[in-house]
Amino acid sequence: MVLDLFKKFTTLWIILIVLAFFPIFTSTFDLPFWNDVVMRIMLLGMAAMGLNIVFGFGGMVSFGHAAFMGVGAYCAGISQYYGLDNGWYQLLMSAVSCGILGILIGFLALRTSGIYFIMITLAFAQMLYFFFVSLEEFGGDDGLIMDRSDFIFFDLYEPLRLYYLIFFILATVSIMLMLLIRSRFGVILQAIKSNESRVEAMGLNPLKFKLTGYVISAIICGLSGCLFASWQEFVSPDIMHWTRSGDLMIIIILGGLTYLAGPLVGAIVFLLLEELLPDLLHVLFPPISENWMIIFGPLLIAVVLFGKGGLMGVMGSKLKTAANREKT
Amino acid sequence: MKNNVLELRSLRKKFGALKATDDVSLEVEKGKIHALIGPNGAGKTTLISQIFGNLKPDSGDIFLDGKSITNTSVADRALLGIGRSFQISNVLMDFSVLENAIVAKISHSQETFRFFRPAFSDPSLIEGGFAILKRVGMEQMADRKVSDLAHGERRLLELALALAMEPLLVLLDEPMAGAGPEDTIFMTKVIAGLRGQTTILLIEHDMDVVFQLAERISVLVEGAVIASGTPDEISQNRLVREAYLGSDQ
Repeated sequence: MVLDLFKKFTTLWIILIVLAFFPIFTSTFDLPFWNDVVMRIMLLGMAAMGLNIVFGFGGMVSFGHAAFMGVGAYCAGISQYYGLDNGWYQLLMSAVSCGILGILIGFLALRTSGIYFIMITLAFAQMLYFFFVSLEEFGGDDGLIMDRSDFIFFDLYEPLRLYYLIFFILATVSIMLMLLIRSRFGVILQAIKSNESRVEAMGLNPLKFKLTGYVISAIICGLSGCLFASWQEFVSPDIMHWTRSGDLMIIIILGGLTYLAGPLVGAIVFLLLEELLPDLLHVLFPPISENWMIIFGPLLIAVVLFGKGGLMGVMGSKLKTAANREKT
Repeated sequence: MKNNVLELRSLRKKFGALKATDDVSLEVEKGKIHALIGPNGAGKTTLISQIFGNLKPDSGDIFLDGKSITNTSVADRALLGIGRSFQISNVLMDFSVLENAIVAKISHSQETFRFFRPAFSDPSLIEGGFAILKRVGMEQMADRKVSDLAHGERRLLELALALAMEPLLVLLDEPMAGAGPEDTIFMTKVIAGLRGQTTILLIEHDMDVVFQLAERISVLVEGAVIASGTPDEISQNRLVREAYLGSDQ
């Protein structure tokens, strides 16, 4: 079965293996800054993979998943504010809070579909955003400075430990999702995306499955947020700003929403461009180096227009045509 | 003793001033193929939607196997034993033929909240899926994508999915709609083969098919049942001939 999973999700495994050995590369060439960039890639990639359970596999366009990242981050921040700096506890706390919140929001929001679902998820996310802005005790708008969490067996003062903690959680989530997507539950979720009324006619209540998927995705985003707080050593409502929900959707679409590895590929490309485009523009056209989005926007449009299935789809079809050419 | 799988008692449904269902009472006997015919706009699909649960009647009662199902949801009625094929093909387009059958098998098994073992490579589900396809003679096409199937083949698959739940009653809403002559002949054969195994309420425009298959026919005109009886009785009925078959026949 392990071999089977490897064959089915090759891209995802390759990315995980590269991530596992990436710090060796950075220490050999003395580029510790890039560890930091890759941690951010892993965190946003993980959140996007979580969102993609509902977005890509369940066909529910949720525009508020950054809120779950925010709740996860505040679970870490507020726990530490009261002296509870055990990281395991904080991760559990994030998962439980986001799970409960996911049930509440999902139960109400999933009564709608299409554009109304997009709007209602955005509305809930904005409510949570302003709720945390209003919490003066925890810094309100300015946020909360915090230390990296303590994981009992190890602390995170050594950046590499944080790197491998994030990697470990990402790898665990990835493997769970590989199983989930092909399980009975995963198959029914995708069947609902394909044709909800047929699934209903088979005697299944679609809401139950959509809600379960929604809660799972909320928990994954919460875990990502909790680790994000340690990485940033700072929590503020900014982490759950609606533009981040948008970023997560862009990452998924860029990478390819029908693929499990899509969001991770999207996060890699998105964040590398964010990192590299300003420098590149600084050399080529200094006047617009601040506005790297001028290049990024059209690039995104090109991928959506010409690459059916995002970057994963483009890579897949390129490989296929290459294989066909070899055959003939 | 009467043995009715489905019983409708003075069902009414209005859309504004239009009486789409006007005091309809109907009994469908167990094991029979019962056809519901009527000119366009007679309210056949409205009636079937109420039986299936997509629409709520304004008044009246629906009984399945003696139990009232008037207030239960679509999914619950499907579990209680109503299978349906829709007027417009309604299958899982992004899946293969076998995968469609496997999803039906999963939902019939009731073991749906399983998160780890892969479903499409589970031998018992594959076997169950093939058994579902066999009933309509589609096992040769198992690996084909539904989006590549011809129209008639999709209709056949939909019938298989409706049968997969081993329902007490199958609602077939114009199963021949849009199918070519060969598909119609094959489909008629498949449905005829189900006689005695399951109870079928058939809505169909093709009169040849109706008179070949049905053991009882009810005629719906302007929301009301104007006649019910055996095919012979219906074809002799003067009211029906005037309202529906055309007075020149």
